[in-house]
Amino acid sequence: MALSLSTFLTFLWNGLVEGSLIALAGLGLTLLFGLLNFINIAYGEYMAWGAYFTLLSKVIGLPFVAAILVGVIGGGVVAIAADRIVFQNFSNRSPVVLLVVSIGVSFILRNLIRLLVPSQYTTALYGVELLHVPNIAGITILGNQVVVLMLSVLTLSGVFLLLNRTRIGIAMRAASDDTDLARIRGIDTDRLVIYVTALGGTVAGIAGIMLGLESQVTPSLGFTFLIPVFAAVILGGIGDPVGAVVAGLAIGIAQKVSLVIIPSEYTPAIALLVLIIGLLTRPDGVFGEATR
Amino acid sequence: MGAVGTLLNPSLLATTAIFIIIWGMLAIGLNMHWGETGLLNFAHAAFFAVGAYTSAILTTPPPEGGAILEATRTIGFDFPIVVGMVGAIVVTAVIGVAIGATSIRLEDDYLAIVTLAGAEIIRLIIINQGSLTAGTKPIKNIPRPLEGTFQEVLGLGLPYRVYYVGIAGIVLLGTLLIFRHLSNSPFGRVLNAIREDEEVPKALGRDTARYKLKSFGLGAGVAGLAGALFAHSQNAIIASQFTASLTFIIWAAVIIGGSGNYVGAVVGAGFILGLQALLRVVPSGIPVIGGNIAVLRPIIVGILLIVILYARPQGLLGNKQQTLAGMKEGS
Repeated sequence: MALSLSTFLTFLWNGLVEGSLIALAGLGLTLLFGLLNFINIAYGEYMAWGAYFTLLSKVIGLPFVAAILVGVIGGGVVAIAADRIVFQNFSNRSPVVLLVVSIGVSFILRNLIRLLVPSQYTTALYGVELLHVPNIAGITILGNQVVVLMLSVLTLSGVFLLLNRTRIGIAMRAASDDTDLARIRGIDTDRLVIYVTALGGTVAGIAGIMLGLESQVTPSLGFTFLIPVFAAVILGGIGDPVGAVVAGLAIGIAQKVSLVIIPSEYTPAIALLVLIIGLLTRPDGVFGEATR
Repeated sequence: MGAVGTLLNPSLLATTAIFIIIWGMLAIGLNMHWGETGLLNFAHAAFFAVGAYTSAILTTPPPEGGAILEATRTIGFDFPIVVGMVGAIVVTAVIGVAIGATSIRLEDDYLAIVTLAGAEIIRLIIINQGSLTAGTKPIKNIPRPLEGTFQEVLGLGLPYRVYYVGIAGIVLLGTLLIFRHLSNSPFGRVLNAIREDEEVPKALGRDTARYKLKSFGLGAGVAGLAGALFAHSQNAIIASQFTASLTFIIWAAVIIGGSGNYVGAVVGAGFILGLQALLRVVPSGIPVIGGNIAVLRPIIVGILLIVILYARPQGLLGNKQQTLAGMKEGS
């Protein structure tokens, strides 16, 4: 198959956009995972709720920027609600029990969307024409992709600023590394759980909105996106924010560039391939600083 | 009156019973993995699909060129149903061992994610290998065991499904007895020891990875048999019937029933399906937002799962000591 340079660059660009989405979703998940120590299947639903808060705000006439804000806050609120109403009551139980509990929460949240949202919106587009971008050097660039990438870079910078430059962010990282040690040093880890949940949910909300922007909004949009996100979190080393972002970008780019050699039907398998190779060669994550 | 009439319709009752049996088999397989050995398998729906497809492909003839709906499928064998069922067990067990082999040495969470992703790959293969599986189209005219015999010999005029409950019930009972026996054998005790603390059987010279692979193969094989039972009860199967959600529902069944207990696993499956059957008929008089009762079911299952885990950590029939011992505190 003859492959022109511009086609390859288009694949690379698509991979970058996809990767930035996986990276962002992975960042939120790894923050939650690092502190709470269980696989939260309901994370995909936080994403879907974010996307739907935005969609419905748009439908009732809010400007798109305001609608995005509603979705971002909505994702955080749903995450906190799930934590306070459900997960908190299981905090002294094993990670596996929490994992199964999160399956229940995921069922409830996903189908609540189907129950509450009018049926014409169970598959919907935001219906916004955001930007017109000319093709550069033969690369097909869509306006939505540019917005997704910009939002992603903005959010990533914001979260890393928070994690590295603020007291609360440093406390989050400390507690993620070693919760008991952080508590001994006077960090109120119970309150920190709320902050981290809010941050993780907010990031999930943004990722969900972007996912809806890139394709379409459905109640299972986050659920079906979980595998590459989990792959990124594990490959990056659980609880390692930088690792999750690097691994997310790597998986996104590998998925799209792999189109050069394998048929598009099998691109989702790339995430697993990258994950298995990663786990066998670097069991502690790309940077070898996993929390366990 | 109408609601009760629907509930007691023999055809609907038989359909519910068949599903309880099939999901019960799936729950037995998962209980082998999780309840006995402590393995976090999240590929169960894929094992189920492999079993269903294997048996369907083995027992249907290759479609003629004229078959438009299955135009892409070119492979079929037209073997007897027994061959299909045995083939389903073997192929699924082999695939289970293969997925297990990539990840069996990984820790809990990692194993969960790798199996979940492995299941997704199996789904992709089923959708895309059309010459074998008909892709997103259905495989039709799957034969039913002893279909004519029942009608001719017994001649009670009952729908075929009612007889199928008997066939599937016998398979379930046999499976249950075999697995309970395994559970009480030295083999089962090694599996339990791995669940409690892998280092102990290792220190005693057991090759724990080997035992875990065997557990993976056995549980997957049962899921494959459940898939075959499903395929032959359905007449036609289609890829969209085998979603990852099923894996999570079977997890719920095992946990609700009480992990570590095979009868409990079946009871858990019956509990969820019985509830769904009830929800299908009861709310005819209850106003529901948008009239959308189908989405209320998973919500109620989700709430029940959480409530049962909170109020009764050992599940409905679980042995408290055994179940809680399997769940390591902290991480």
